[in-house]
Amino acid sequence: MIETLRFWAIVVLLVGGILFTFVSAVGVIRLPDVYSRAHTASQTDTLGAGLALAAVALALGWQGATIHTVLLLFFVFITNPTAAHAIARAAAETGVKPWTADTDEEVGEK
Amino acid sequence: MADKRVIVPLSESITVRQTVGYAARAAAGTDEDAELHLVVAVPYETTSPEGSGDIERAQALLDRAAAWVREDADPETLTVETAVIGADEYLFGPRDYVRAFETYAADHDIGRVVLDPEYQPGATAPMLQPLERELATTDLEFEEAPVERPARHERLVGPGSRSRLVTMFLISYGFYLVLGDPFYPFDLITGAAVAGIVAITLSHVTFTTAPTLVGSPLRTIRFALYIPYLLVEIIRANVAIALVILRPSMPIDPSVCRVNARVRSGLPLLALANSITLTPGTLTVRANDQQLIVHALVPDAREDLFDGSLERAVRFVFYGRDGAAIPTPRERGDTEIIGGDEL
Repeated sequence: MIETLRFWAIVVLLVGGILFTFVSAVGVIRLPDVYSRAHTASQTDTLGAGLALAAVALALGWQGATIHTVLLLFFVFITNPTAAHAIARAAAETGVKPWTADTDEEVGEK
Repeated sequence: MADKRVIVPLSESITVRQTVGYAARAAAGTDEDAELHLVVAVPYETTSPEGSGDIERAQALLDRAAAWVREDADPETLTVETAVIGADEYLFGPRDYVRAFETYAADHDIGRVVLDPEYQPGATAPMLQPLERELATTDLEFEEAPVERPARHERLVGPGSRSRLVTMFLISYGFYLVLGDPFYPFDLITGAAVAGIVAITLSHVTFTTAPTLVGSPLRTIRFALYIPYLLVEIIRANVAIALVILRPSMPIDPSVCRVNARVRSGLPLLALANSITLTPGTLTVRANDQQLIVHALVPDAREDLFDGSLERAVRFVFYGRDGAAIPTPRERGDTEIIGGDEL
């Protein structure tokens, strides 16, 4: 009983992780500029990697390696915003203007 | 006329005595009716939780400084004024301090500033260089007081260095043992050696303020409480953004806004800026002092940011429950939607 429950919990977590990673990939393709793409790229790391690592931790059970997955998640959560911020800041510094709803009207439909 | 009036910003630094002495001698030497204005800028509003007690400390410092001036210069020829400034507002960074000095200088027809090289108001990092940069943009003349100060390397054994050393050692030893095997003697010995090297070489750059026995564990516990809260926020924002992206019409309305965060520079500001970026929908593009330039993907995310729930949570971690009870950025008027031009 517990084993089946654990199995399905792992499946649900993995599917969730894949779903959010997929959404993030779609977002990177659909969104208009570097700033908005940075938003969705961080989804891969937060929920995508988060749910996948939660599934791994659950699959491994209570042992040393589980602590490592938690630590891994911790470092992903520290480095991801730093990288996203670095990209956005570099874009701002090189003078990339953020896309707004008005920009689209000027350029016309892409 | 304005040159005879000098403003001296004071803070509890090791060179404050010498700065006051220099300013007093210089002012007394020039003219008969020179005026010396000693001011202490308090970083927080006196009504805010951290601000209580600031005024008394500032007043005590001013009283001492006024006594020093009387020792160093003839009280007949030198007028001394003291004032606490910035008590009715929140000073964010060098820009705000200089603005406060400028206002005071304009009110009293002052033309010159004498700076303490170790000037350090509030709990921020030394800010002489940024201050001088800001002062250069104003009409005020400024000058650094020539003081003798102990060489910087003295700080290695300054107050709090032992607690830094011990904390750093324990953290790195603990981390080493988590990765290794805490019951294997080889790991125990190599871990102690590695942690020792790390603690000796890096402890003085790791902490901006020395860890304390009560405060630091308390902050760690509060940070542990903050993590589940942040996770819930992240999941909520993730679902919202995923729905926006997957909808065929993709209703996004990106905007760039500025928020003045009321958290200290360093770790608290890093925690806040990182949390903002970590929640999809808001992205910190710039962090200049306490001014965060944030790119928001949808209006909802922006409104959440202006409601300041994350800011309050970060304040809870670093200042405790009382510190978290502050008005939202929107109520304080610390928010502004700006175009992309000011990036």
